[in-house]
Amino acid sequence: MILDLAPLVCGVLLAVSGAAKLLGRRTAQVAANTVLVRVLGNGHRAAFALRAVGAVELAVAAGLLAAPATVVPGAATAVLGAGFVGYLGYAKATAPQSSCGCSARDEGPIGVRSFARAGAVLLCGVAAAFAGTAWWSRVARDPGWSVLVVAVAAAGLLALSTDLDRVWLPLRRLRLRVFGTPLPADPGGRVPVEATVELLERSLAWQASAPIVRSALLDAWDDDGWRVLRFAGVHEDARGARPVNVLFALDENATADANPSPAVRVSVIDDRTQEVVPVDLLALSGLRRPLRMV
Amino acid sequence: MSNRQDPGPRSGFDRRRFLTTAALGGATIVGASALGGIDADAAFAAPMPSLDPAIAKSTFAEGRITAINGSVLEVAGSYGEQHLIQLTHATSVWKLRATTADAIEAGDGLYARGVDMPDGTIAADAVWVNIVNLFCTVRGIAKDRLHLTHGDGNHAVVGRIVPETTTASYLGGSLTPDLSRVRIGQSAQVLGAWRPADDSVDIARVTVGH
Repeated sequence: MILDLAPLVCGVLLAVSGAAKLLGRRTAQVAANTVLVRVLGNGHRAAFALRAVGAVELAVAAGLLAAPATVVPGAATAVLGAGFVGYLGYAKATAPQSSCGCSARDEGPIGVRSFARAGAVLLCGVAAAFAGTAWWSRVARDPGWSVLVVAVAAAGLLALSTDLDRVWLPLRRLRLRVFGTPLPADPGGRVPVEATVELLERSLAWQASAPIVRSALLDAWDDDGWRVLRFAGVHEDARGARPVNVLFALDENATADANPSPAVRVSVIDDRTQEVVPVDLLALSGLRRPLRMV
Repeated sequence: MSNRQDPGPRSGFDRRRFLTTAALGGATIVGASALGGIDADAAFAAPMPSLDPAIAKSTFAEGRITAINGSVLEVAGSYGEQHLIQLTHATSVWKLRATTADAIEAGDGLYARGVDMPDGTIAADAVWVNIVNLFCTVRGIAKDRLHLTHGDGNHAVVGRIVPETTTASYLGGSLTPDLSRVRIGQSAQVLGAWRPADDSVDIARVTVGH
């Protein structure tokens, strides 16, 4: 059964890839990225070679589809497949980043899928060479099983195609639309610490404290409706520089969406003595100077 | 009161309580908004020159951690240079979230900002461990992960969703734990922590529709 249907599957595969190579508008572009350019000297010859291979594929496909019970088309397919494997092996060894040009569509570097595809052509050719019955009489005899085998083979070949995402993406989208997203929706409504940090870093308080703050976020905790964010810093005054903790306290439920400029409490605490250091943030940062009283 | 983050040896409950009292007692209250950076994004920003001339210019180091000796990290830079990075109790450590130096392991990647010391080490003000910032496309959504592709070659990356940690931002809105609005096919910016063990990324934040 599988042997008898091999010419059909293989013939359609070669017809599609051969036609794409022979008649494709982008064949010249694709050829320019293959190892053929280096082997044959220039891009024109490479494109010609790729189109010639396409023509051979089409001829073999015609043979497979029209005279499936004879040995020659199957053997020719196997030889073609072996040639592809050899070509890929040579290209992989000498120019691993080159495009394979296999289906005249994919531009990616040669990978496992390229080899699997060439190997499939080789195996399919061997199977086709041993076909005893023409595929149309086999299909007429066992229509159900034939459709199943062809469908499985087509799915297998599709899975070897690098254009797989084009098939999967709409299916995945459909699944999400039907069954809903598996991702968590808002679990409990607590504002993430990162959102509070984001809010802080857009605030005047943060800009004003820039000369003191040295670290990124060290610690964060919630207490009695406040969210306290701790940063390390260095404060310099007449007595010299000393390490300090810079504490920012914000409403723990504030987000940029609801309140883009909430009040921020800022305090600077000496890291050694644990005393509050009086700092005039607005004067320190030079953001605003007090108006002189007249 | 919730203790989401590891409090670390120096800042237990009592210390937090004390600092809260200090923070709310003698605080300067500043309102109005101004510009600023996103915290973890600061790892990718050029070091900002301090406005205070007394503070030495910030230096920046990156590479893979080859060894950890006490509080000193030996780092092999991407261009063959070596750094010795000194951590102190005032050094902030980011590894998917604000954490402590205990979370750092040999083999991790690191970005550090700090000050050059006379002995050739860098006293770190802040280190970001395994931080990655990827511009990618969402290719698949599962309960605990996003399948992503990034770059010219459409490299596949698995982005893991970490409960209580992964947040999302939609259309420039503020960060939310609600991930349900991420769609297949969207362009997304993923900020997260690379996992050297299996080459996946724990997502800290995914930004879509910007």
